[in-house]
Amino acid sequence: MSRGYLSFALRRLAQAIVVILVAYVFTFVVISILPGDPVTNVLRNPQNGFSEDDIARIVGYYGLDQPIHVQLWRSLSKFLVGDLGVSLRSNRPVADLIGEVLGSTLLLAAAGLAVALLLAVAIAYGSQFLPKRYGQDLLRTLPSFFLSVPNFVIGLVLIHVFAFQFRLFRVIDAESPWATLFAAIALGVPVSAQIAEVLIAGLDHESRQEYAEVARSRGLGQARLFARHLLKPASLPVVTVIALTVGELLGGSLITETIFGRTGVGSLIQRSVTTQDTPVLQAVVSLAALVFVTVNLVADLVYPLLDPRVRVVDGRTAPRPTVQEVGAAG
Amino acid sequence: MTTTRRARPVRRARHLFAALAAMVVLLAGCSSAGNASEAGSGRPTDGGDITFLIDSLGTTWIPNNSAISSFEGNIWGHVTDKLVYVDANGQVSPWVAESWEQNQNATEFTLHLKQGVTFSDGSALDAAAVVTNLDIWSKGRPQDGINPIGLFPKTYDHAEAVDASTVKVYFTAPTLGFIPTLGYHGSILISPKTLASPASDQADLSKTVASGPFTVQSWKEGDHVTLVRRKDYNWGPAALGQTGPAHLDSITFKQVPEQSLRVSSVQSGQADVAYNASPQELESLKSEGFTVAVPRYLGFVNGWAINTKVAPYDDLRVRQALQAGINRQQIIDTVYTPDWKPATSFIQSNVPGATDHSNLLGYDPVKANQLLDEAGWVKGADGVRVKDGKPLTLTLYSNPYLATSKSIDELLAQQLTTIGWKVDIQAYDVVTYGQRVKVGGAAVPAYEITRSFIDAGTVAGILTDANKGEDWFGLGESDPTLNALRDGIAKASSLDQRNPLLDQLQSYVLEQGYFIPRTQIVQRIYVQNPKLKGETYNGVAYANYYTAYLEK
Repeated sequence: MSRGYLSFALRRLAQAIVVILVAYVFTFVVISILPGDPVTNVLRNPQNGFSEDDIARIVGYYGLDQPIHVQLWRSLSKFLVGDLGVSLRSNRPVADLIGEVLGSTLLLAAAGLAVALLLAVAIAYGSQFLPKRYGQDLLRTLPSFFLSVPNFVIGLVLIHVFAFQFRLFRVIDAESPWATLFAAIALGVPVSAQIAEVLIAGLDHESRQEYAEVARSRGLGQARLFARHLLKPASLPVVTVIALTVGELLGGSLITETIFGRTGVGSLIQRSVTTQDTPVLQAVVSLAALVFVTVNLVADLVYPLLDPRVRVVDGRTAPRPTVQEVGAAG
Repeated sequence: MTTTRRARPVRRARHLFAALAAMVVLLAGCSSAGNASEAGSGRPTDGGDITFLIDSLGTTWIPNNSAISSFEGNIWGHVTDKLVYVDANGQVSPWVAESWEQNQNATEFTLHLKQGVTFSDGSALDAAAVVTNLDIWSKGRPQDGINPIGLFPKTYDHAEAVDASTVKVYFTAPTLGFIPTLGYHGSILISPKTLASPASDQADLSKTVASGPFTVQSWKEGDHVTLVRRKDYNWGPAALGQTGPAHLDSITFKQVPEQSLRVSSVQSGQADVAYNASPQELESLKSEGFTVAVPRYLGFVNGWAINTKVAPYDDLRVRQALQAGINRQQIIDTVYTPDWKPATSFIQSNVPGATDHSNLLGYDPVKANQLLDEAGWVKGADGVRVKDGKPLTLTLYSNPYLATSKSIDELLAQQLTTIGWKVDIQAYDVVTYGQRVKVGGAAVPAYEITRSFIDAGTVAGILTDANKGEDWFGLGESDPTLNALRDGIAKASSLDQRNPLLDQLQSYVLEQGYFIPRTQIVQRIYVQNPKLKGETYNGVAYANYYTAYLEK
């Protein structure tokens, strides 16, 4: 395994790096196509009273008067040695800007994932053991309902009820624990749906297995059966789903941040898009690509180790089961 | 504000019980705030923290690049001092400069500085520091990304420190506007150490050192800036009746982009000031007891600079018809509230030297129709006037820097349509506007002006193209009367000499229909907790909370 696994790992790593570089260049090209640049846009505010000469001189400092390919090369060669450049909007190093907001977004995404997992496990547990007359079937339809409600709707309802009706948190103090909790709920609910679906399917499958029957016939309580025996084998496909939902957690956190007024990566992106702040956008898009690629890479690399059925053959791996396959299996 | 302080335990609460208890306290706080008694002692009390909700915290914090921003400017006004203070009526009084004198033809000025003024790092705000500031305002460091201050007199030559508290400033031509310009929002005093640092350091607000009554305690880009009182501050402008430290302990500027959220947060007592409310809400907010302020800056009124290079606006009669065909009172009645003032000239009426020319700005549709008839514009079946097969058109580009601009354009379009104009309105975002709409541009017959200045002397220099002027009316050097007035105003070495010329300039520009005023401009609107009192508004219409206090 070791040799084949190593070359497999190296190939996936190389692919990951290429994806990040392409994301970086692509962002630059897309923004360059747009008319105008952030520096001129600010200088043209008539309040400034700058002449066109003044403007040209200042734009020169930022190198924005250079041909596009020269600008791209300059930014790419810096990026390759780890220099993310300086924001055209605020003149601050891009690394500082990202560092300042990353914590808030990571906290939100982590809390969102925690909410999603708790909710998914609770729904999955109920789907197995809640008596039919208490609405087991209703509970089983909950994931599709969650999936169909956009998280901004959930967010607005939560704000309305808990901030304005119950005054549990102040909307202008968006980073407080209560506000963070509700933001995490808004973010976590749609994500929980996918995890719950997969988990329910897995549990359905496992609970029909002989070992489950045996355990039941020996008088094992349902909670112990669930926690000790069913959950572990049923949650293996969840690893795949979590890897896939990282994108959703990131994308969703941008929307959630805007609704709850949090200052995270999402608000940084928003500010940078409206001012065409190319260096920041390049860095953030590359960062998103990096996170996405890393999570999937880790999932790919870990999977053969977790599940002996997934073997590496000639440096290739049987693909991880997709959500559809997992769903179909149940 | 009570609610803000009492809400804090919520954040630390671990148990639901504690949170519920805090909720009860919070609700109680709200209700007691609602029953606020009007019987205040009226004497400023020390202490208290206020929260100021602002649409945006702007772009950069490089002092020179952000000082005149409507957003960052609110913070700079509390963190920095200026050499002179200019009040809302343009009256200049001493601040860091205790006194000053000028030579006969206003080309050399001597500033005498207050002694003992220090920056927050303890270094002295002395003559050398002032010279450094004057240089950076005038020239910036464009090669390092530091802009100059756009409206600083272009005639600045150099300055020198005569001794620790005396600065001599030299100009290449008479510059009467120099002293008032020192009170302009761009002229903020910053420590030379900060000014010498690279752009990326200056962009970090926490590294900036200045001498104002507040210092920066913490900030996060796009989120908040928290200022705390400087206890040893002792050099406030005498004109404010206070020179010692500020009353308030802290001011937090919190970014809340949503306008309705800013206002409702102040209404519910969660914050103290909401910036830029909508004019339509103000009457009801006032009746609810909130303090509403619509300060006017010193500057041009809101109106159009007419491009005489674009036909048919090369015809005096068409311009005059435009001047007479606008019902300005209706703008105030429908778009604004009675807090807004009608234009009486093309500069705001609080500018020293502004004179009342309301008689030239009356609504007279009969005269407008008559002028257009005389000019050969004949009304067609659809009501649009035509001459030589061409309709009488006017394209308006709504100014994206003034929220009400488009509503006013729509109203004026209605008015002008009845006279026979075909009006087309283009509303662009800031980026597109900056690209496509330029004063004097070939497709821009009317450029909407929103511009502040401190000294009326700068006006004349902008109107034509002489000395890198902006040539607002597309006249170049072709109007000898305007040129003569411009030169007279520029060369004037005393106000007695200048004011009659300014008066003539105002009536001439309006009579010629070069500038079509709409209303006096208010670009900053403040809605405030009624317990917060004593704030001041300076000549550039920023609220300042140095003298403010919270009534108990």
